[in-house]
Amino acid sequence: MKIVVAYKWAANPQDAEVGPDGTVDWSRAKGAVSEYDPVAFELARVLADTCAGEVVGLTVGAAAIDTPLARKAALSRGLDSLVMVADDALRGADGTRIAAVLAGAVRAIGDVDVVVAGESSVDVGDRQVAMTLAAQLGWAGLNAVRAVTADGGSLVVEREVAGGVETVVAGGPVVLAATADAALPRVPGMKEILGAAKKPTQVLDLAALDVPAPADTIAPVSTARPDTGNRQGVMLDAADLPAAAAQLTAALRQSGVL
Amino acid sequence: MNVSSQAWVVVADDATIGGLLGAARPLGTSLVALVAGRREVAEAAAAAGVDRVVWLGEPADGVPVEAYGPAVGRVVAEAAPRVVVGPATDSGRVLLGAVAAATGAVVLAGASELSLDGDKVVVERAVGGGIALRRDRVVAGTAVVAVAPGGTVAGAAPVAVEEVDPGPLLALRVTDRRVTPRVGVDLGSAKTVVGVGRGLKAREDLALIEDLAAAAGGELACSRPLAEGVDWVGKERYLGISGQTITPDLYVAVGISGQIQHMVGVREATTIVAVNSDPHAPIFRECDYGIVGDLYTVVPLLAEAFRAARS
Amino acid sequence: MDFGLTDEQELLLESLGDLLERECPESYIADLDLNHQQPTSFRKAMNDAGFGSLGFPEEYGGTPCDAVTLVLLAERVARQGLNNGYGLELLQATDILEFGNEDQKREILGYLAAGEVPFALGFTEPGAGSDNSAMATTAVHHDGLVTFNGTKTLITSALASKNLLVMAKDPAVENPREAISMYLVPMDSPGLTTNRLDKIVWHISDSCEIFMDDVTLPESCLVGVKGAGFKQLMRNFELERLVIAANCLGQAQCAFDDAASYAAQRVQFGKPIGSFQLIQLKLTDMAIKLENMRNFVYRTAWMVDQGLPLKSQGALCKRYCAMAGFEVADEAMQIFGGVGVTVGTRVSRLWRDLRGHRFGGGTDEIMVHIAGRQIVKDHS
Ligand SMILES: Cc1cc2nc3c(=O)[nH]c(=O)nc-3n(C[C@H](O)[C@H](O)[C@H](O)COP(=O)(O)OP(=O)(O)OC[C@H]3O[C@@H](n4cnc5c(N)ncnc54)[C@H](O)[C@@H]3O)c2cc1C
Ligand SMILES: Cc1cc2nc3c(=O)[nH]c(=O)nc-3n(C[C@H](O)[C@H](O)[C@H](O)COP(=O)(O)OP(=O)(O)OC[C@H]3O[C@@H](n4cnc5c(N)ncnc54)[C@H](O)[C@@H]3O)c2cc1C
Repeated sequence: MKIVVAYKWAANPQDAEVGPDGTVDWSRAKGAVSEYDPVAFELARVLADTCAGEVVGLTVGAAAIDTPLARKAALSRGLDSLVMVADDALRGADGTRIAAVLAGAVRAIGDVDVVVAGESSVDVGDRQVAMTLAAQLGWAGLNAVRAVTADGGSLVVEREVAGGVETVVAGGPVVLAATADAALPRVPGMKEILGAAKKPTQVLDLAALDVPAPADTIAPVSTARPDTGNRQGVMLDAADLPAAAAQLTAALRQSGVL
Repeated sequence: MNVSSQAWVVVADDATIGGLLGAARPLGTSLVALVAGRREVAEAAAAAGVDRVVWLGEPADGVPVEAYGPAVGRVVAEAAPRVVVGPATDSGRVLLGAVAAATGAVVLAGASELSLDGDKVVVERAVGGGIALRRDRVVAGTAVVAVAPGGTVAGAAPVAVEEVDPGPLLALRVTDRRVTPRVGVDLGSAKTVVGVGRGLKAREDLALIEDLAAAAGGELACSRPLAEGVDWVGKERYLGISGQTITPDLYVAVGISGQIQHMVGVREATTIVAVNSDPHAPIFRECDYGIVGDLYTVVPLLAEAFRAARS
Repeated sequence: MDFGLTDEQELLLESLGDLLERECPESYIADLDLNHQQPTSFRKAMNDAGFGSLGFPEEYGGTPCDAVTLVLLAERVARQGLNNGYGLELLQATDILEFGNEDQKREILGYLAAGEVPFALGFTEPGAGSDNSAMATTAVHHDGLVTFNGTKTLITSALASKNLLVMAKDPAVENPREAISMYLVPMDSPGLTTNRLDKIVWHISDSCEIFMDDVTLPESCLVGVKGAGFKQLMRNFELERLVIAANCLGQAQCAFDDAASYAAQRVQFGKPIGSFQLIQLKLTDMAIKLENMRNFVYRTAWMVDQGLPLKSQGALCKRYCAMAGFEVADEAMQIFGGVGVTVGTRVSRLWRDLRGHRFGGGTDEIMVHIAGRQIVKDHS
């Protein structure tokens, strides 16, 4: 079985600078394997190990996602090989475009049975790319996946639904997005990190994937900093906690919120 | 691509569509519900005040709504409405992904405000996990938007349910369903919420926070790590961008650092109180009242003071 | 000069950080300290992630490792506030992997994998502290057996270990350097008894006296070559001093961070105490010491990796870091005021644990003894 882990090399918004006008400066935020993606690596590895499968990592983005560090960070997480599309034409690309390029890459990899993705990316967090990818490929897509096993030619997927857990059997290829706690990802060990550079990486040429750039469908109107409500920010003296508690209670009573 | 002036909603086998309809209605000259899922859902949609209901037919036993992705994409692409609003839920995103793939549109998620500028849809949404707000105008093609589905709606004179052939479905089959009983909780309408985060050392210590919530007459909630991973608190109680959004009068955050993904869900609180042992915790930049201290000493004192004040 | 980390080092630190967050939070360390327990579950997790065989020969599943990486990891674990949490046990185990027989190797690797302490190190005696050559414990070989007699003292973690790596001498050999051999002695050997020594430092590791009265074992308990015990023990000494120095650096950094945060938050006379220049002076001098320690540790590790002769460098580094580390912790404690001496404040534990490093691995004074002689020799 050939399993693709679609992951993102992304920066944490906590490290980005937001200007007063809501413009976001990511230049000082460092990339990393996006927060919830290690869960996808883990699900994929476990699945591969139970069915003698192969795990291929896949990431697409701007040219800057292809650094030796970024490659090794992914390859140390249980991959057999890595495929990337790193092209500045994809800088700031929207989710539908990213999904289309991922789909092109999955087709280029060939014979893929399943794509596993994380719940959402740390920098965008829309939870949409994996399911758009499924549709681009014409495959089934399932969210909130907790576990996946192989059973003959089909995949047996456990997923969370409102009020319970469902088992879904997928007869064809499928894209799965894991819940954030589907598995406790193992931390990359010493051997995996030191061995990462020896694993194969293939960089696909965006132009060769034949995924034409779409016409612009949206145009920015404005940006803003979220209204944090102009909070009062009164710090109560921690040296005298009982007094602080009393002061707080009085203030809350007075403003009528308690 | 030329689009019609219609507004569509995509319904994913779930009749709680008040939020979808509310968002879509002002954006089109007529409102069409495209229903994937059971007939009862289609009928509920038909009585929810829409102009048309297009239904993809009764799913065979065990066929989940995700199997209808290609059908949803095709029907929407053919109709080319001005806007499609769908639920920001697990299965909703699958159907919206199908619409995106079929139309080339971008799914605009996390929308906080939708409006029309002439015949163009303008969407305001949080970006970068909530660090900034952005307003975009959809200049070409169909606008595709994900919003919280909202509650049920009924009472309108029902329109006819138009059944269309979904064509080939995807090969998915539900073979088993286990129900995990969860006590329903309505954090959305709670007046007071006490949230706890990783500052809590052990599950047993939750009693402390529950007691504070009781003393404040409020509901218990948490940051995401306490509901996922450690599973100390039910998943329906975590607040933030991927959890619940609350609008209480008072939100007390205990042992929560105040990362952006959490704050997005609590910003609408009238008053925010933070208790944290780290004076540099980001939450202190976004609170009305802050106490730097160990929650294990602060919380009992607060509970006592709240109790005294409310009795 | 390149102070940057390699990709691998960065990724290792990231992984280690994740592992520490998961397996070694402060509450865990505080519990170990309170209950005088070894960090077994943490060590096991480290081993599972491959950190437990760092620097071992590849035939034992090990991964080659340079000194800079080793001290980076040791410092990081120490910065979590865990004393002797990583590094030393590996260097000690390599003694067995290098000189031991197959049975001894297998046994030691098994304990490491389980997160247990594979053996304690016994050379100090009531009459032989700084002066190892005064060692009086005897090992007499006869009929394929060895019989031990003598007392070892201040032995760390012996009560938690299955074995003791004993240094003992052949009474028939005059020259103490050639008389001493290394043996792996099971702690449950008949004739071996212990007496716990309660100490005010290093609570996660026990200490004891060990009495050996006619402890008789098969000769196969010899590790390496008879008479080469001293040389074998010395083989890793420089690296051990370096790891101790890195451990002091990490713990001192931890104490500094705690103190700096506290200074920013503690209000007296209507202001955070961090706004008083006397407190700022402390923090500044602490920061300078930390920077010096860091440079000392990493440059020494770099010298090891370059194969440069260390001469007095290892002793200078150990002495400076043990002393400066404790000074930093002491000032950190001062910044905390009275809270700093209470049990449960991390800085009090760091202060205690750092104090121990001014003895273990050779005292401050012995470092002068070693380095001083070398310096004079180099200039004669
Ligand atoms: C895509 C994505 C989506 C996410 N969505 C959400 C979401 O919806 N909701 C959410 O909450 N998170 C979400 N997160 C996670 C989020 O980034 C943070 O990791 C999380 O909110 C942190 O939770 P916390 O504040 O409880 O923990 P921490 O950040 O670890 O903070 C714990 C705090 O407790 C304090 N503390 C420790 N001990 C004590 C004590 N004894 N007394 C008082 N204080 C103490 C510490 O100083 C610290 O500030 C998301 C992350 C990603 C990547
Ligand atoms: C926490 C801790 C853990 C230990 N763990 C172990 C262990 O696991 N195994 C083990 O075998 N030993 C262990 N030891 C023992 C340690 O190696 C000795 O304490 C150390 O070598 C000093 O020996 P001593 O205590 O007998 O002091 P002494 O040698 O009697 O020294 C007393 C004082 O005289 C000074 N001094 C001695 N010689 C000179 C000199 N030539 N010039 C100037 N000053 C001198 C010393 O520096 C010291 O200040 C441990 C000790 C401690 C405190």
